[in-house]
Amino acid sequence: MTAPRGRRAAIVAGLRTPFLKAGSDFARLDVLELARSVTVELLQRTGLEPREVDHVIYGNVTRPVHYSNLARELVLAAGLPKATPADTVSLACASACQAITDATNLIERGYADVVIAGGVEMLSNVPVALSPPLARALVTASQSRSMGGRVQSFRGLKLADLPPVAPSITETSTGLSMGQSAELMAKLNGISRADQDAWALRSHQKAAAAWDDGRLAQEVSPVYVVENGGRAVTRDNHIRKDTSLEKLAQLKPVFDRAYGSVTAGNSSPLTDGAASVLLMSEERAAGLGLTPKALVRSYAYAAVDPAGELLIGPAYAIPKALDRAGITLGEIDVVEMHEAFAAQVLSTFRKLESRAFAEQELGRSEPVGCIDPERTNLRGGSIALGHPFGATGARCVTTLANEMARRSAQLGLVSVCAAGGVGAAIVLERP
Amino acid sequence: MTAAAASPSVRFDPPLEDRIGRITISRPDDSVNAINAELVEALADAVRTARAESDSLRGLILVSDKSNQWVAGADLKIVTRPTDAKQAEAVVRRFQAVLEELAWLPCTTVAAINGAALGGGLELALACDYRVAADLPSVSLGQPEVNLGLLPAGGGTQRLPRLIGLERALDLILNGRRLNARRARRAGLLDEVVHPTVLERAARQWAARPKRALDRPLAVGLSVRAAIDLAEQTPLGRQLIYRQARKAVLNKTHGHYPAPLEALEAVEIGLEQGMAAGLEAEARAFGDLAVSDTAKNLIWLFLATQRQKRHHAASATVERMAVVGAGFMGAAIAEVGAAAGLTVRVRDMQPEAVARGLASIRQMVDEGVARRRFDPREGRQIMQRVSATTDYSGFGEKDLVIEAVFENLAVKHQVLKDLEAVLSRTAVIASNTSALPIKDIASQATHPERVVGMHFFSPAQRMPLLEVVRPDAAADWAVARAVSVGTKMGKTVIVVADRPGFYTSRVLGVMLNEAAILLGEGARLEDVDRAMTDFGFPVGPFVLYDEVGLEVALHAGETVTRAFGDRVPPASAVQVLVAAGHTGRKSGTGFYRWPRRSRLPGPLRRFVRGPRRVANPAVYDGVPRTSLPKEAIQDRLALLFVNEAVRCLDEGVLQSPTDGDLGAVLGLGFPPFRGGPFHYADSIGTRLAERLRALAAAHGSRYEPAPSIADGRKFFEE
Repeated sequence: MTAPRGRRAAIVAGLRTPFLKAGSDFARLDVLELARSVTVELLQRTGLEPREVDHVIYGNVTRPVHYSNLARELVLAAGLPKATPADTVSLACASACQAITDATNLIERGYADVVIAGGVEMLSNVPVALSPPLARALVTASQSRSMGGRVQSFRGLKLADLPPVAPSITETSTGLSMGQSAELMAKLNGISRADQDAWALRSHQKAAAAWDDGRLAQEVSPVYVVENGGRAVTRDNHIRKDTSLEKLAQLKPVFDRAYGSVTAGNSSPLTDGAASVLLMSEERAAGLGLTPKALVRSYAYAAVDPAGELLIGPAYAIPKALDRAGITLGEIDVVEMHEAFAAQVLSTFRKLESRAFAEQELGRSEPVGCIDPERTNLRGGSIALGHPFGATGARCVTTLANEMARRSAQLGLVSVCAAGGVGAAIVLERP
Repeated sequence: MTAAAASPSVRFDPPLEDRIGRITISRPDDSVNAINAELVEALADAVRTARAESDSLRGLILVSDKSNQWVAGADLKIVTRPTDAKQAEAVVRRFQAVLEELAWLPCTTVAAINGAALGGGLELALACDYRVAADLPSVSLGQPEVNLGLLPAGGGTQRLPRLIGLERALDLILNGRRLNARRARRAGLLDEVVHPTVLERAARQWAARPKRALDRPLAVGLSVRAAIDLAEQTPLGRQLIYRQARKAVLNKTHGHYPAPLEALEAVEIGLEQGMAAGLEAEARAFGDLAVSDTAKNLIWLFLATQRQKRHHAASATVERMAVVGAGFMGAAIAEVGAAAGLTVRVRDMQPEAVARGLASIRQMVDEGVARRRFDPREGRQIMQRVSATTDYSGFGEKDLVIEAVFENLAVKHQVLKDLEAVLSRTAVIASNTSALPIKDIASQATHPERVVGMHFFSPAQRMPLLEVVRPDAAADWAVARAVSVGTKMGKTVIVVADRPGFYTSRVLGVMLNEAAILLGEGARLEDVDRAMTDFGFPVGPFVLYDEVGLEVALHAGETVTRAFGDRVPPASAVQVLVAAGHTGRKSGTGFYRWPRRSRLPGPLRRFVRGPRRVANPAVYDGVPRTSLPKEAIQDRLALLFVNEAVRCLDEGVLQSPTDGDLGAVLGLGFPPFRGGPFHYADSIGTRLAERLRALAAAHGSRYEPAPSIADGRKFFEE
């Protein structure tokens, strides 16, 4: 299943905004401004001529109603040539992974040489919708020609149809929220509260350390909020350097108050942020004198029944991507795994180590292998950094590429779980 | 004018089957169809032909054959030529008569406007029954005559108020305001705004309608608009509007500009005594104004500014610039650059400073939107062209970097060093300094040939002048780039030599220093300031000191007195005040004590007169004050200003008297109606040298006439 080696897509640079808790300093910013800020900065820092960019692909989940193709708006706002095509992709939490693998396809097929891929999420300003009956009535009214017709359109509306509807955080097919699913996974896989809290603590400690030694500053560009006299946002604001197991242990389970283990402390928060990655064909990067940090070796997507373990997708996608790369999990030097919940991360570890899972679910005789926590999420994960749905995949790829370059690691793995039971995995290699 | 004879400026096309004829305005020798005598006569012929064919004509449309150009107003040559008021009056009377004939044609007339319809161009459109315009950015309607010291004299003061109402018309006529197509439609000046491709079709449809009287539907209901419309129907209401308009004009012009008052008078006569009397008043006033020095000077300034811009508009395009220093000046330069379509990267040391800088850019853009400099969508795009950084990332591809850091040589050296490390070989470095010599700033540069000065004036987003400073070491291409970027930013650019204080800071510094000397001699602040505002400066020297800030003024003043100390003795007043912590308006006291800003809510403020500024007692220091005659003060300051300006020309700091006049008027507030220091010198003539010698005998060698004045040189030919 190894892909034929031809043109290869190189990760040349990646950059993200600080990730902020929803409702904090980015709350009044336009989602496009966040994406523009980081994309312009990516171009400025790499010194790339905007006209070199062939295509832009951007991930976004809770899409504002006035940007039906956010990526194209980004092209126009970021000063890229107006002739640059762009498309917006949506794959829940793995949206930016989709953007990056789409970009890889374009480059490998020779359809593009330079692609900006990334994603943005603004959970401070989710679009709030009208109930379907009310929306239908308004549309009918706007189309009818007479006053009577307009009045007629609103007949049959009930009081209950009037309140606005917030975007759903539950799976449409099961009615279960993300957190409830994580709770279910913790129970099914026997993940203890203590293990989850320990993983969360580790996430905060690694993130804080990476800020302290400058590794994160390298991949985060400030955002300048210009309202009210101006404010420079330079740091993530969810990382708790001073948290401890004791403090985490005090938090109450949210989704199952009596027997649960998933708390606000061992889950990722609602977050605002954007991240952009610059991908190029190896040849073009060399031609422009840019040194790739990593190359895309392979990728895979998988999906499971949302009624089961909703967030276990990566346990299926990872072996698929490894097979496509022709390598084993043991050969991977560095891993970036999106942490929706500590319970989900630890459940994935369990599955990959499990012979039964390998035999029953994957049809393999041997377990996929063991992910070494010491080589995972070396700059902290989504629990500490935050999780802007559309941007997280690009954040993971950037961090992984940077860590691989720093350690001269040969192979790296990104995995992201997503709503709907989808899992994404991307294998990077050093040039 | 043989070409003009071969193809006339105005052409009549006989009606098509729709029975609608067409008059095409097409001056073969002028891109904007400027109105001259030849065009007026050609129009008269066309109108006469239309009248002769009345039987077959249902309607008539007026179009221009220039793309995106209608009739941009009178050819200013017809105004600058006559020296006799009667002659100027005769020209406009003829124009009035032809427009009257057009207005009284039996068929319906429609102006199809596809570009600027200004001055006489708008009056031509007003003489038609209907006006249709293309939805183009080039469409602009207004009566800008007062800006040139003139008044609308082709019936503009008569037809405009009748069409759009007295109050709105006065706003256009007295302020020279222009409206774009959409706003003109809203004001009732246009009947329809359509896509350019269907302009003629729309005009023909309007031409099929019945002729209409020159009036308008009044607003009804409970709106302000309706109240004003109602008031305008009563003599008393109109009197109130005239009185308020007169007050506003006098507030603005301090009595130096007669044109708006004459225009107001013509409007009033027309509305109260009938249109014939109004047209008569218009024509007479035009004759008088056209031969006045004020109009001559204002027209000269207008044409000189246009020439300068045309001359400096370069083909070499700069697309990317950077600004180092995100303070108020840096932010303003960035805003101006981004508004001119450049991508701008702003750099300051601390993220907070960068954020404040971006916030002030945003504020300037918002103000620009509020003032209708650009529409909200443009405003957003301008902001999107700006990026910011705390390092020098992205500077590698910039074509021009303007540094606007603190005025300190060591700081500027460091910035230059940093820039040379990151910039490409072809990038130009410009220093925005008001007084530091560029050659000192570039003294440690590896490539001094690409270092020039770009002296912007505060507030840079509004001030129309840019002084480009050319050090001896500078390469032509570097200076040319600074000039072309400045021009692209909409500035009028003068290029000056790299001598202390350049041009503007030097003459201003010398004049401000002299004001302080006067103070030492016992003059009162208020007397000096009033004398100079009476002379025509927008503010007096001491108010200017306080507005600029005394520390800045001291720094600039020292540059001048250090360089010219043998002539210009430093006055100590500023130094004393700064030492005592009185640093100007921002600190609350300088030469004056400034009242705190009223904390009353905006709408109430106009009813409660706050305390006014008063002289800072520390300035007088117990020394008794004497009253100096106004003329004596004006001579001391204005003549010194003129003398120093001429010295700048004689020493080669200035390239021409034109540059000197533009710089003084656009950068320093020298009274525009006087045309600038060199025009002012010409107006005094040979007596100037005598007056200066007398002042020199009494006050010192700084008044010794500059060589050109001593030689009795005339700076401008008639």
